[in-house]
Amino acid sequence: MDNTTKEEYKIQSFDAKTQQLLKTALKDPSSVDLEKVANLIVDQSLKDQVFSKEAGRICYTIVQAEGRQAGSNVFRRNLLNRLQQEYKTREETRSRSVQEWVCYVTFICNIFDYLKVNNMPMMALVSPVYDCLFRLSQPDSLHNEEEVDCLVMQLHRIGDQLEKMNVQRMDELFFLLRDGFFLHNELSSLARLLLLEILEFRASGWRLSDSAQKYYYSEVTD
Amino acid sequence: MSFKHRSSRYDDGDDDYRRRPPARWSQGRKRGADGKLRQQDDADSTLFDDQEKGSYDNPHLDQRPPSFTTPEAEGPFPRCSDWAKCVEEEELRTDVRKDMQRYRRRILVNEMYDRERKASSGSSDSRDSPVPAELETDERVLMRRQKQINYGKNTIAYNRYINEVPRHFRQPGIHPRTPNKFKKYSRRSWDQQIRIWRVALHAWDPPEEEGSDLQAIEPIDLDDMEVESGASGSTESETSSHYMKACKAPASTPENSCSGTPNKMRRTENEMEAAFDLGACLADTEDGSLWSS
Repeated sequence: MDNTTKEEYKIQSFDAKTQQLLKTALKDPSSVDLEKVANLIVDQSLKDQVFSKEAGRICYTIVQAEGRQAGSNVFRRNLLNRLQQEYKTREETRSRSVQEWVCYVTFICNIFDYLKVNNMPMMALVSPVYDCLFRLSQPDSLHNEEEVDCLVMQLHRIGDQLEKMNVQRMDELFFLLRDGFFLHNELSSLARLLLLEILEFRASGWRLSDSAQKYYYSEVTD
Repeated sequence: MSFKHRSSRYDDGDDDYRRRPPARWSQGRKRGADGKLRQQDDADSTLFDDQEKGSYDNPHLDQRPPSFTTPEAEGPFPRCSDWAKCVEEEELRTDVRKDMQRYRRRILVNEMYDRERKASSGSSDSRDSPVPAELETDERVLMRRQKQINYGKNTIAYNRYINEVPRHFRQPGIHPRTPNKFKKYSRRSWDQQIRIWRVALHAWDPPEEEGSDLQAIEPIDLDDMEVESGASGSTESETSSHYMKACKAPASTPENSCSGTPNKMRRTENEMEAAFDLGACLADTEDGSLWSS
């Protein structure tokens, strides 16, 4: 399994005891306190931007293992409960620390991406995820490059899935983004670049045309 | 409700940008969602204003396409008060729907097969193959039943059972069989079938010394069970007491003690279903399908 190495790499950021707990949770979930594991993962995600981008994978693996081993979903339940708690206080989080807020959005979107119910996205998360993206599309957020970066990354990753679940809200979101792109004179050129790219990205069916790819990324790859 | 959400979402102190009208040059060029240029007198209200004011109490916005005036599309995604519960319910519902489709397919295949056989042999077939009219289609009932089945399946005993006794070795009357959730039964009858099934599965409980700390195993009081099922006075009680006799002795090696026992009981529900093996239909759901990626 090449998954294992990847996961081990990701849990490096935890202390030794926690790493051990997570490793056990991945292999033998019934033998550990899965509520504690869920909280650990969320806590780490809110602190660590790199981790929040990939934490969904670990969560997916634990959910799978628990389902296989015990047929239960204690971990998922606790994970969602905690996510919901954080969701309720997201405005406070944002005013306290934009970085933590960005981590939260990254994490919830990653969970939306990885955890499926009978191969379908979890419907319960559709509206909350949209709410977060709408928040990131508000003028004050658009002036913050960190938030714009987060917004477009999420749309790159899960935009097409979200759109399938609710086209209307995606349309509304893009009305905001278009307005943001050309109505706000103070936006930095990086923010504009990111917005322009995501506008093109969706317009061409959630992918970039070759020439657009070249335009946006050639310097990065060169 | 949607309004409340919205106001809390955008209510983050005073932010000038939001109220700023569009730059001059863009006035009158802006298009609505229908592609038409917006009205001149509309130019002062930006999208952000709509959201601020909530658009319901803003009469001149009413001519706009609905997508502009209802930023909070609830649609089929009502906000749920408990995400985890919603997801669990969603999962159960989609499981049951999937099973239902599979079951219906199976019925069709069976019917076709029966018809062919009848046509070739000419004999009338009295076997009880379910007709769609007899199906339980109430999703709430199905979900409730599935939940009960899941409780039974999420046990060590069940895992041991399906590992130790391969499907084709299972015999009606000797081996427990998951009740068929798609058949019309009274609540009472269904609950009784579930009870009998769960009791029978206990024969595969792990031996105490290795299994005791893995999972809390419901203690089975055999006498209690017999009294209980006897009291209900149904044919099912016969079955359950037969199980006791068949499987009572060495629970540690159930396949030895059970599979050799002559089989003549359990003719109640299961024989009628013999034509049509729900277990087989749902074979792949048994293990990972809840989480199949």
